Amino acid sequence: MTPTAVAPTVASPAPRARTRVPHKRAIAFFVVPFGVLFALFYLLPIGTAVWRSTQVVEREGTFGPPREVFGGLTQYREVLANDAFWSSIGRVLLFGVVQVPVMLGLALVLALLLDSPLVRGRRFFRLAFFAPYAVPGVVAAIMWGFLYSPNLSPFRDVTQAVDLLSADLVLWSMANVVTWVFVGYNMLIIYSSLLAIPAEVYEAARLDGASQLRIAWSIKIPLAMPAIILTAVFSIIGTLQLLAEPLVFRTFSTAVTSTYTPNLLVYTTASVPNQPLAAAFSVVLALATCVLSFTFLRLTQRRAFQ
Amino acid sequence: MRITRRAVSVASLALLSPLALAACSGDADGGGAAGGGDAAACEPSDGEVTLQFTSWVPGIEDVVAIWNEQNPDVQVEVQTGPNGNSGTYQNFFNQLEAGNAPDLGQIEFDALPNFRVQDGLQDIGACEGVQEAADQFVDWTWSQATLGEEGSVYAIPQDSGPMAMFYREDLFTEAGIEIPTTWEEFATAAEQVREQGGYITNFSVADINQFAGLVWQADGSWFANDGDAWEVGLDSAESVEVADYWQDLIERDLVSTLPGWTSEWDNAYNTGQAWTWVSAVWGANSIMTGAPDTAGSWRVAPMPQWEAGGGAAGNWGGSTTAVFNGTEHPYEAAQFALWLNTSDEALDALIEAANLYPATIEGQQRPALAEGVEFYGGQEIYEVFGEAGPGVPAGWTWGPTMTQVYNDLSDGFSGAISGDGSLGDALGDAQESTVAALESQSIPVAE
Repeated sequence: MTPTAVAPTVASPAPRARTRVPHKRAIAFFVVPFGVLFALFYLLPIGTAVWRSTQVVEREGTFGPPREVFGGLTQYREVLANDAFWSSIGRVLLFGVVQVPVMLGLALVLALLLDSPLVRGRRFFRLAFFAPYAVPGVVAAIMWGFLYSPNLSPFRDVTQAVDLLSADLVLWSMANVVTWVFVGYNMLIIYSSLLAIPAEVYEAARLDGASQLRIAWSIKIPLAMPAIILTAVFSIIGTLQLLAEPLVFRTFSTAVTSTYTPNLLVYTTASVPNQPLAAAFSVVLALATCVLSFTFLRLTQRRAFQ
Repeated sequence: MRITRRAVSVASLALLSPLALAACSGDADGGGAAGGGDAAACEPSDGEVTLQFTSWVPGIEDVVAIWNEQNPDVQVEVQTGPNGNSGTYQNFFNQLEAGNAPDLGQIEFDALPNFRVQDGLQDIGACEGVQEAADQFVDWTWSQATLGEEGSVYAIPQDSGPMAMFYREDLFTEAGIEIPTTWEEFATAAEQVREQGGYITNFSVADINQFAGLVWQADGSWFANDGDAWEVGLDSAESVEVADYWQDLIERDLVSTLPGWTSEWDNAYNTGQAWTWVSAVWGANSIMTGAPDTAGSWRVAPMPQWEAGGGAAGNWGGSTTAVFNGTEHPYEAAQFALWLNTSDEALDALIEAANLYPATIEGQQRPALAEGVEFYGGQEIYEVFGEAGPGVPAGWTWGPTMTQVYNDLSDGFSGAISGDGSLGDALGDAQESTVAALESQSIPVAE
């Protein structure tokens, strides 16, 4: 965009250059900064993690200095045999199966309501629904932690009758926090895709005598489906990577163990410190997230994009 | 289709973040070239020296300011952080790995072997005045700092944490309940307190080092190191006995099980829901800040005993000033650590700022520790802790992976209070996982 970047390419009239790739320098100018940052902050850390996950620690005697040597898939064998890891994955999957549909259902309903011509104060509600997302996740978790607390909550009548921080309920108490934070965010993505639907489509529907409900069901939801799927993929990834909420809830509830979610387990393992094993956990978790996201996209693709 | 592809590429970027998180600690091993055993190299540096020191002791800046004023050539910069296990240790490990650890750090006794086994500590045994200082310290604190190695010193002990029982004198008197002197009486008193609507104490599942103190009092042992291999005894007989005792109190709902060091926990003490706390000398400060409304109502009595008339005490906490591997100024760092933990002016300042109970024999006689404490109704509470000190069984050894032991035991205890197994089962599980954790780091374990 900047004139300085464009100028040299405009000024080079050599006809030969056109037979090769045009605007080479401009392309390089725009791509190199990205490439450098991408390599530094994505490829290098991933490479390091994968490499470290293949290391094992060796030492002599009880206090011998540790040496990391290549150990092949040793750490991965430990990952596979680690019950805590798999039960933490099971826990977040259970969390996701319940929380993601509830949250996205709510987000969709709110987006449809905002998009309905009958609603007044649209701007206010749009902001109001979105506001919780502006609260940092850790702050939200602390706030809800106090709200749930049996003795410090302003709603003690409720929290003393039902212990929302007990082993049975704490997972769903956290699901509520995550939902509260992210409903508005997902709503906004869905809502903006609703705004992009051309007015002619509605006109045609109205000429055919469709009610608002019918329009929502047969036109808006199908046309917003790509956005809904996008939010679903984000949510699945977010669920598998839960860290802030369980970390904060550890200070409110004894039921949240140090291996409650996969990411918390990685964090705990790294603090032992056992970096190679933590790296192996991370790699497996990333692969699992990958597989899950792609499976979800595969399953939904056909229906959504025809 | 367009959106899908974008969704996929955004999704795959988002996936990478746990990797990035795990990898950001870098891969450099160790810090400087000087190995942990390179004690001969303790020479003064030329010119002016600036030392970095990380600690979480309240008011430490003021104590260091005294040193800085007297030593213009050796200036110490303090960084403060959360308690060791709440984050500072993890920072230390990461800094050591990245090669930018501070020169000195606050490390509790229980974490010293962990840092030693990661090659994070500088042996200051050859530094001037260090070996000579040994006699000034309470025996067991010094042997914790040498880790049982001849000629080596890895840290200068700062404070110790002999345990006693803080109790609400007003509530006990009002209800006509005797102050328990044995654990048996403690259980009986627990029933009586429960009838009054309170709990005799709170069992915090995350305070494994408190539980360790209780096992320590019972003359149990969790680890032993004979130089060739580690012996792990988390599920030793004494350990299980202590666990069974508390399991019984928990099952009968005679103790509460709130997570420790939280607002909820402070509230329980501040509102008189919890009547006693078997804790260390530094706990005096914790009650004052956590339960300010109860000023004047607390007193301190010796720890309940397993055998009537016994004088055994546990120890909870206590820390050292350690010099990290990779420092360029081991000599100056050692001199500062010695000053901080043996000089009268530093100890007086530490006592005043943080209620620390010094690890030196003379330090424990400081006039500030002989005074009555207003919050405790004017009781001379340090006298009780002073008497507890010699009752702490010598020979307790901490293991090389205490962070992992604490996590695993605490997870097990969490399960137990939710009705999943018992505290004793948790000890058995932690025994297994600890042996596995040691072996996975090639730390030899005796069969």
